[in-house]
Amino acid sequence: MTAVLLDPREHDETGIAELASESVVVFDPHGKIRYWNPAAERLFGWPALTVQGTGLTELSSSPADEKRAWSRLLQEGWWQGRVGRRARHGGIVFADVRRHLRYDAAGEHRDTVEFARPAATADIPQAGGHPISDRMMAASWVIDVSPASEIVARITARVGVANRHELEDLHCRLVEASRIVEVNERSARLVGGNRGRALMAGQSVAAFWPLASRSMLGALIVEALGNEHGGQCRRQLASDGILRDPLVSVWRAGDERPGHLFIAVNGAADDDRSYLFLRASEARYRKLVDYMPIALWQVDASHMGKIYAGLRADGIVDFERYLEEHPELVDHAAATVPVTDVNRRAIELVGGAGVQDLIRPVGYLFDASPDSLRRVMIGRFTGKKNYSELMKLRTLDGRVLDVRFSVTYPEPRLELDTTIFSLEDVSDRLRMETQLRQLQADFSHAARVSMLGELASSIAHEVNQPLAAIVTNAETSLRWLARDQPDIDKVEQLTARIVASARRADEIVQRVRGMAVNQAPDPVELALNEIVQESLLFVRHEVEMRSVRVTTSCARGLPSVIGDRIQLQQVIVNMLINAVQAVEGCDEPRREITIATATNDRGDLLCTVGDRGPGIATDHLDRLFEGFFTTKAAGMGIGLALCRSIVAAHGGDVSASNRPGGGAEFRVVLPRAGSFAAAGDIAGEAPGPFAAQAARSA
Amino acid sequence: MPELPTVAIVDDDEAVREAVEELLMVSGLACHTFAGAASFLAARTSCRFDCLVTDIRMPGMSGIELIEYLHDQGVHLPVIVLSSVLDQQVRAHALSLGVHSWLTKPVSDERLLGAIAAVIGDGAGSEQ
Repeated sequence: MTAVLLDPREHDETGIAELASESVVVFDPHGKIRYWNPAAERLFGWPALTVQGTGLTELSSSPADEKRAWSRLLQEGWWQGRVGRRARHGGIVFADVRRHLRYDAAGEHRDTVEFARPAATADIPQAGGHPISDRMMAASWVIDVSPASEIVARITARVGVANRHELEDLHCRLVEASRIVEVNERSARLVGGNRGRALMAGQSVAAFWPLASRSMLGALIVEALGNEHGGQCRRQLASDGILRDPLVSVWRAGDERPGHLFIAVNGAADDDRSYLFLRASEARYRKLVDYMPIALWQVDASHMGKIYAGLRADGIVDFERYLEEHPELVDHAAATVPVTDVNRRAIELVGGAGVQDLIRPVGYLFDASPDSLRRVMIGRFTGKKNYSELMKLRTLDGRVLDVRFSVTYPEPRLELDTTIFSLEDVSDRLRMETQLRQLQADFSHAARVSMLGELASSIAHEVNQPLAAIVTNAETSLRWLARDQPDIDKVEQLTARIVASARRADEIVQRVRGMAVNQAPDPVELALNEIVQESLLFVRHEVEMRSVRVTTSCARGLPSVIGDRIQLQQVIVNMLINAVQAVEGCDEPRREITIATATNDRGDLLCTVGDRGPGIATDHLDRLFEGFFTTKAAGMGIGLALCRSIVAAHGGDVSASNRPGGGAEFRVVLPRAGSFAAAGDIAGEAPGPFAAQAARSA
Repeated sequence: MPELPTVAIVDDDEAVREAVEELLMVSGLACHTFAGAASFLAARTSCRFDCLVTDIRMPGMSGIELIEYLHDQGVHLPVIVLSSVLDQQVRAHALSLGVHSWLTKPVSDERLLGAIAAVIGDGAGSEQ
């Protein structure tokens, strides 16, 4: 027994007649067909779509009898008898019918309901008392071929002249130019996807008709248009993945509807699952897609696929360059690739009033970032399964959002060429990330300044030495020059020393200034050993003053690291200062720190700073990198916390441990260049080509 | 002809050391330079100095430690400090140990030469 799965849009009463095994037809007061149930489709062969609005007498095999019966009905309120009705297969079907008049609240004639069973003597198959299953119903269409009249004329002119290939092409174009007027539920379910009947109306027939049989349909349309009596033209097709051995019939709608054709496709769904199961899963799927929190667009880029195939056949390999030379192809895609379906979230995201605002060529999605469409096209051309990037989206009400745009390309060889776009609004997240990065940058700047404060007397002393040398050398030169016989050689020697000292002072000032200014991080490829040497310069004076021995062991041939020079210096200087402070109170033999670079077993870079001081208390080990944790009297406790966040932004890790022989060791692991696309994280970049690049190479 | 007064210069910074040496030379003074307190103390066993010009912040033995050492040893050698250190306590401590002048880098030639002339000229400038 068939269960009912009611579509909320369907009227309850209609659903009841849909299930009846008897033919049920409703006529309006003028005797024109208003409703035609599936059993009527089966009994008389005509799909409902094709007979709606048709007069009772037009279908009758003896109109005079029918007229008599109709006036009887109007007098009596009901009528019972046998009628002959023209069937789609060309013959006449005799049926025993009962007709009842129905009245509205005002007592006016509202409609007439007719129940019919095949006449016992009629030579037609018995209905068998079962309701008509959906599997047996025809998928029916009403189409309008008037937009294709030029193509029809060309086909007519070329018949017998053109080769098969040319005709096939013209037939396909005929289908592309033809518009859908209406389809029944079954057609919508079979090929309409999530769109429903209403949205299929007005679209190209080719948007829904399977690719493999498009040219056959075109040929059938031409045949039906040329059929003098308006008869049906039929073609049996091979199973097409949708229906098993479908039979396609095409016939003209009649003189009062010029250019309109009816199409009926009979065949069982080519799927082992029961229709009910299919319908239920489809309903679930439709609901799932519709309520998905991610905005989804379905687009039909099938004609672009053909263009790409043509370009490939012409030997185009570097599509990126091709698009640079032919930007008009991107414009063409923007203007011609139609959006065929969207879900609720998509409408919310772009701020449209309804589905209709979004069902148009895809160009509007790429208004704010035209290059994204170019990259989407390149992705398809190069045969990717999907592609994703961050891009700007201009909404219909003019806002600009940051969205994560993803596209899933159609699998080759599938019947219907559907591409799915998903867009996720990441504006808030990006804004928050930017604020966090700014906060972190401000903090690390503050920590750098405080670190320079700790080094202030060292720095002052360091910069004062060359200045002192300069002053004294200059004054000495003046003394030589003031002599009766100036010693020019001596003055030259002293002047050269002045220049050298001035350079030295300048270098120190530059180094300190690099640390002191709050500049945006600038990720570049760096050599870790250089960072270590530069960091040692900062603490050289501290180390010498405190008689601390520094052992440096830099591994050769290290891979480079992508990072910000100043931030990485900050990390290492911070650890060196900690190490110096850890040993300064120790006896002379233990006043030793070591700094080493190496690679770990995964090929990533390693920098360790060790000391021979008192080490780290066990209960402090876990909290060492927490913000505001400090063991120093005047410490703020942000140094190591920032080291950790800086290293984390570089995709690395920092840890601390106690050495077996006493003292602490800090380890910084940094990914080698190429293994981590952190450029955006370090730089805090807004989404753009650079971020997209990073995302692709990740 | 009397022997030229000899000045010892102790500073860990080579550029400063050389600059002071050149200034003293053009002013007609003999001088020896040392990169640290230890090498100066070693040289004292064989050389005689009329004046010591020393830095304070130096690796190893600092200028203050050197002054303390000379004071403890009862060495009568005029000392002039030439340093970047601005710490008043350190300065007061040095002066209490008999340091003649505390000059801050960068120093003018006249002040430095004046300070040296003062200790050499008053006859206190020879080691006993």
